[in-house]
Amino acid sequence: MTLVTRLRNRAARAAMAAVLALAAGSARPDSTTTVGMFGAGHLESTSGEVIYQQICRGCHMPDGRGASGAGHYPALAGDRALRSAQFTALTLIEGRRNMPAFGGKSQEGFAYIVPTLDDEQIAAVTNYVRTHFDNHFKGTISAAEVKALRRPH
Amino acid sequence: MREGGIGGAVTRRQLLAMIGTCAGSAAMYQAMSSLGFAAQSSFKGPTPLSPARPGASVLILGAGIAGMVAAYELRKAGYRVQVLEYNARAGGRNWTLRGGDRYVELGGLAQECRFDPGLYINPGPWRLSHHHRGMLHYCKLLGVALEPFIQTNYQAYLHNSRAFGGVPQRYRTVRADYQGHVAELLAKATRAKALDDAVSAEDQERLLESLQEWGALDGSYRYVKGLTSSEVRGYDVSPGGGLSARPVYSEPVQLPELLGSGLWQGMLLAENYDMQTTMFQPVGGMGMVGQAFARELGSLIRYNAKVIDIAQDERGVSVTFEDTSQSTSRQTAHADWCVCTIPLSILGQIPMKVGAPLADAIAAVPYAASVKVGLQFKRRFWEEDEQIYGGITYTDLPISNISYPNYGLFSSGKGVLLGGYLFGLDAAEFTAMSPQERVAKAVEYGSRIHPQYTAEFENGISVAWHRSPFTLGCFGMWTEEARAKHYDNLCAIDGRIVLAGEHASYMPAWQEGALTSSLDAIGRLHRRALEQGASS
Repeated sequence: MTLVTRLRNRAARAAMAAVLALAAGSARPDSTTTVGMFGAGHLESTSGEVIYQQICRGCHMPDGRGASGAGHYPALAGDRALRSAQFTALTLIEGRRNMPAFGGKSQEGFAYIVPTLDDEQIAAVTNYVRTHFDNHFKGTISAAEVKALRRPH
Repeated sequence: MREGGIGGAVTRRQLLAMIGTCAGSAAMYQAMSSLGFAAQSSFKGPTPLSPARPGASVLILGAGIAGMVAAYELRKAGYRVQVLEYNARAGGRNWTLRGGDRYVELGGLAQECRFDPGLYINPGPWRLSHHHRGMLHYCKLLGVALEPFIQTNYQAYLHNSRAFGGVPQRYRTVRADYQGHVAELLAKATRAKALDDAVSAEDQERLLESLQEWGALDGSYRYVKGLTSSEVRGYDVSPGGGLSARPVYSEPVQLPELLGSGLWQGMLLAENYDMQTTMFQPVGGMGMVGQAFARELGSLIRYNAKVIDIAQDERGVSVTFEDTSQSTSRQTAHADWCVCTIPLSILGQIPMKVGAPLADAIAAVPYAASVKVGLQFKRRFWEEDEQIYGGITYTDLPISNISYPNYGLFSSGKGVLLGGYLFGLDAAEFTAMSPQERVAKAVEYGSRIHPQYTAEFENGISVAWHRSPFTLGCFGMWTEEARAKHYDNLCAIDGRIVLAGEHASYMPAWQEGALTSSLDAIGRLHRRALEQGASS
């Protein structure tokens, strides 16, 4: 898994890191200037495919068909909700029910932080899921359009 | 967070008694904590519930800690109790994986645990604080033996792959050097009269004296190589007896390198209130708690029951479920009241007849990612080669933790490490891997701290909590905003239904949060049941 090496700043594991992430706000955090143990977690890649494989795939599965147990993860394949690029991007930014918000929402407490995706990354993965897994939805969304969707913090 | 602004009209004792009567023992205990009482009190267990109305019944959804505590206490009060559990076992996230266990994660990938007898990992909770009195109470009550959980081990490592050339540092030396340099700086400032405005001359003397001891400074208030510092940070050659063991002092790491390494961050984890020594673990694995509850409750628990609909009206609660072990035919359980401990990640997908405030609260809490990896090795090299007996190494690598078993110390033969405990982005990425890839990555990363991994590794197992069929995530992540808006609504009784679990607590992910949430919920539900009666 060479993808692992693309990750530079490691996800947070401690209260110290939570504080750092709060300070980072909604923008992509600056690269860590020290060599601290606990950096705020963010991906380097701006490839929709890479982002899907590193984050989304855990729940939505490699084939985009979701999974079912006591509850379920919805399939992205053939999901009509993806017809709207704006809806898809907003879901990534704000989260939806048990799905965390990847737009940089601060979490209370300790030792856990949701990876933060910036506008370009959210646009990339939005465009990726709308055109893969047998999805052929028309149109794309740009980083600037994603930015416009963000709520002012 | 708690009730503030207590007026002078009632005494604290009166107020606590009121809270205990009205809201149950958990609320009283919380209030006691906030008033500073609990430190002296000895928690003797939950306040017994007064007898239930004859024939009154409660349906409990979920046989985790919250559900089973509720079942235990409500049965004792006289309720007819039934518990529905999705898994084929009790405990929920209270769970231990041992040799012979089989685990199938979401997506269908199966793992067989191949640990030797007596070896295990706890994929979920693994430690109990000495102030988690509810958990300690029920462990004692149910005969679950506890042993120390070693959170802090001075001989374990702090490791940053980008500092000290990637060489792990002993917790002992990082702590000693950090403390020593800070003490030296503060002593320097004091003696340079930089603190004259803040500290009286008399106190400056005391401060210097304490800094000298606390920081292992020499007679000139310097933190330098010598007997004083080596007595804290350790020696290059430790003192011994006879002619062969003249001590050789060790050289402290200099401050810039230490600060730049960030290793001080890893040192602070054990200072957290929830991590302070003494901590405990059940002998034989955390899952012993769930197993003990299950033995106690026996046939009250119905396994393999997947809840698919939760309805209620003025007469009672009806829960439709499928028996996943036999057929998909639907059955319905009825009761006067319901305690629902299903994780919100799943509950939000189940049709449920509740008001908008509760429904909105259920939908407001996303679930955290977390991954644990257990690794079996042919020998306990961390003990034999490195004198690490229990405790945790922290690293900046994605595995984050290597935790050494706190049981079976000095035994010859095999051992199982917790080879990774991941959060955040690393957990998301590991979740997206196959179970075998997770184990392989954990071995690869861990070998950078313990080169023995390569030769000694035998087998492993991994649990990624977002792939867990019975939780769809590790625990509920509250934002301050969501908590302010939804938390009280989540905990409030809706008709005949009340929620409980770690998600309905101020202690996310801790079993104690689930347990106190449950005691609080059933206290309130019981009171309402007595007021309204069961009219069905």
